[in-house]
Amino acid sequence: MKEITLNFDGKECKGVLGDTILEVAQKNDVYIPTLCYLNGLSPIGACRMCVVEVERNPKLLTSCTTPAVDGMIVHTKTEKLNKYRKQILELLFAGRNHFCMYCSQSGDCELQRLAIEHGMDAVRYPYLYAPFENDATHPDLMMDHNRCVLCLRCIRVCAEKVGAHTLDLQKRGWAATVCADMGQKLGESETCVSCGACAQVCPTGTITVRELAYRGKRKDCDDVAESVCPLCSVGCKIKAYVRTGSIARVEGTGTESPDGGQLCHMGRWWLPESTERERVPVPMIREGAHFREASWEEAMTLIASKMKPAAEQGRAGALVSSLCTDEELSIFSAFFRDAMKVDIDTFDGDILRGFFKGFEPFKAQGVRPFTGAHNILDSDLIVNLCADPQDEAPVVASYIRVAVLRNNARLVFAGDIADPFDGLTDASVRLNGTCKDPNFLKDLTACLIALAESKVDLDGMTALDNYAKALDRFAATAGIARDKAEEIVKLIASSQKPVFVLGKSLAKNPAVIAAAGNLAIAARSFFSDGLGIVPLVSSGNSLGSVNTCVADEPWLRTKEVDFLYVYSTGMIPEDEDSLAAISRSGFSVIQTPYLVRPLVNLADVLLPAPAWFERSGHFCTIEGERRRLNVIVPPQASLKGLSTVFEGIAKDLGITVGRPETAPCEKFFVSSVSPELAKMAAL
Amino acid sequence: GEETALMASIEGERGMPRPRPPFPANKGLWAKPSNINNVETWANVSPIIINGGAWYASMGTEKSKGTKVFALTGKVKNTGLVEVPMGITIREIIFDLGGGIINDKAFKAAQIGGPSGGCLTEAHLDTPVDYESLTAAGAIMGSGGLVIMDEETCMVDVAKFFLEFTQRESCGKCVPCREGTKQMLLTLERITRGEGTMEDLDKLEELAVMVKESSLCGLGQTAPNPVLTTLRYFRHEYEAHIREKTCPAKACAALIQYIVNPDLCRKCGLCAKNCPVTCISGDRQTPYVIDQSKCIKCGTCLEVCPFKAIRKE
Repeated sequence: MKEITLNFDGKECKGVLGDTILEVAQKNDVYIPTLCYLNGLSPIGACRMCVVEVERNPKLLTSCTTPAVDGMIVHTKTEKLNKYRKQILELLFAGRNHFCMYCSQSGDCELQRLAIEHGMDAVRYPYLYAPFENDATHPDLMMDHNRCVLCLRCIRVCAEKVGAHTLDLQKRGWAATVCADMGQKLGESETCVSCGACAQVCPTGTITVRELAYRGKRKDCDDVAESVCPLCSVGCKIKAYVRTGSIARVEGTGTESPDGGQLCHMGRWWLPESTERERVPVPMIREGAHFREASWEEAMTLIASKMKPAAEQGRAGALVSSLCTDEELSIFSAFFRDAMKVDIDTFDGDILRGFFKGFEPFKAQGVRPFTGAHNILDSDLIVNLCADPQDEAPVVASYIRVAVLRNNARLVFAGDIADPFDGLTDASVRLNGTCKDPNFLKDLTACLIALAESKVDLDGMTALDNYAKALDRFAATAGIARDKAEEIVKLIASSQKPVFVLGKSLAKNPAVIAAAGNLAIAARSFFSDGLGIVPLVSSGNSLGSVNTCVADEPWLRTKEVDFLYVYSTGMIPEDEDSLAAISRSGFSVIQTPYLVRPLVNLADVLLPAPAWFERSGHFCTIEGERRRLNVIVPPQASLKGLSTVFEGIAKDLGITVGRPETAPCEKFFVSSVSPELAKMAAL
Repeated sequence: GEETALMASIEGERGMPRPRPPFPANKGLWAKPSNINNVETWANVSPIIINGGAWYASMGTEKSKGTKVFALTGKVKNTGLVEVPMGITIREIIFDLGGGIINDKAFKAAQIGGPSGGCLTEAHLDTPVDYESLTAAGAIMGSGGLVIMDEETCMVDVAKFFLEFTQRESCGKCVPCREGTKQMLLTLERITRGEGTMEDLDKLEELAVMVKESSLCGLGQTAPNPVLTTLRYFRHEYEAHIREKTCPAKACAALIQYIVNPDLCRKCGLCAKNCPVTCISGDRQTPYVIDQSKCIKCGTCLEVCPFKAIRKE
């Protein structure tokens, strides 16, 4: 990167060729006021606040868009610039109805901050008392056009990071307003995914999260903690604002990060809600139809007394959540699997078993069988296999939309559900229940191999003949016309960096997962960090629970247990099968933070647990990173940490718990062999 | 028009301009190097190729070669499109080609370059029409609009008229143009209604300069031109509107009155019959009187009076 030098108000500043004037300034701590600019979004130079004077150029230039040139002498704060910036702010205040007194954003507003910074204590233009409206049609977001400065950040984030492109401008000039879809109100939109990214980037109080608007401005909050959302496998990094023990709001990180700092509707709304839910206060023991409070000692002694005989007879089990951190999973693994030799599994064990048995042949070669989810943005062909990403991992859906709409990627869909990206897909195949059957993928793989061979084979006729036969077979398996089959094969064969998104329903048959791996290899889907597969495993730390708490073979539905220990984070409702198994067990210990029903009703002993925001630890996410969770709200003193609880139970059992014999997913995160050297698995 | 907005529109996006650099020649339509010119420019290309560069260069001035098409309109006897060699004076266009002012009234100003242009006064009549001379005079060549105004044109009204157009066409992307032209227009409307103050005038000029310098595209950068040039050459008209609440050209409706001279009125009633709002009353014995509260200042009565008994003041 070629280094360049600019002069800002007499100070020599270095940057690299390709930077804008603003980027060089910010790298060197030179302040230039901005309003419409947001790092990570395409700069548009609309607000004109960042204008600077550059010597030998007669025009005022917007520093956010103008490329920096070596030797530029820039003046950022001349009298003229200050005067113009103040006029711009006054025009904004006069143009719409900016009444700070009524606004939930007052004190946390960029327009207000700029006005104060520029000494705007009066507005010399007449207020226009504009007839703009307050759009309150969306259940979660409010859009008050009276406060809008038309910075267009909301439009840009929705188009460039979320890919939904729900928002854009209608009308023109002074009457222009932000609208949804085809000139509709936000609540009427069919494309809005309620992720709240628009509210997060809005500099004024135009777009606000209704529930959170009066919980506390960012500046009112006591603390900001960075952590990770536990709700799905993407594990978006979050910033949680805490105010008197409540989470006042949750935001993503900056728009400059690969995921654009977005969250989904789950992270945006379920997480702040979780500090307000009813907690399990103290250990409780069942007596008949009621619970009575008990001390930790009494509870632990009772648990030990029930677990010991059951374990000795092989009639004990443990069921834990994959939303637990690596550290918690290690504790469970060390205690139940290694020390007590008790069967353990996770709620989503079936799904995870399917994925990882399918991935095993590749893992055995030292190849990482998946790539970080954000690499979808670099792909030129996305193959969606039985996934509904907006449901399973919404940010992955954003990546797909952005890749297709902005980066000209193609999209192929094959599944037994309705195509979730209907309208964006280039080729779509509706499979009838064959998501459990690997033949679709096997035959497609065979086509790709045959096509590749036909291009190098000197004996052209045989190879072409094989290719033709493979195509016929694939078309028959898929139940589609031959030319459509060929279209799909050619789409995959001609792509440089295809990526395969695997829905969790594929995990019902590990052979399908393995076939997907083979397909990725045949399609030469190689990324720097692994094979081009994005598996939508179901929970925040699904990848961490492999090796530690996922059983090799399912036992929950069939085994008769006299003792079952259950740990749930209470953030996602438990599935029917697990609840049934808990109900069948002779004695159930439920450890969970919240009074979730019907789960707590099935307990014989109910133990409180730290909530997701009260613990720190690590998650292994499908973004390809092991991410750190931090404590957001410290737990009450009376709450016992997991290791303390198990130490207590172990003491009553007279055993010592050692270090866990298996570690969380680190093995999956490291490729010791380049994916290009991967060999296909035998099916 | 705005070239990057035009290209955005062709690409299927909303017609809003894009920041430059990059310039269209480097990154234009569909991000490819693009050449975008006015139709008149393209129309010149084939004659140059056919007749040769020297032929083209034989017309015009040293720095502005060839010809220019003007749309000559306004208070001239001959209106229409004229193609003239660069370097011809404005006087020649107006008085030779245009045949002079209608009804031989006095020439007041020529608005050159349309809503983005500036006005030139009697002092500029001998200015040669070429790019440099016009820019020096504060005007632009623009698309070649040439509106001729006489003593009955109010220059404040002219500024307001052109600003109405640019304000309506503003795309709304940048603050100076979107909000600035709106405030400027409202100020001009107040002034032409007789509600302006001297402070308004200062703010108007200050705002016009800011809008001109900080707008994103050519529309915002040139929309203040009519205001700035009329302030430069006809400030006394603005001040008359403000201080004396009169319109020297007797054009601004709120500041004029149509009055029947009772001494000259022959009570024929033609004015009343033709008045679109029937606000003139009188009969065969009584001189006709215009009800000023209902009069819409259309001027029909003055036109139809065969005895020139109605005057405008």
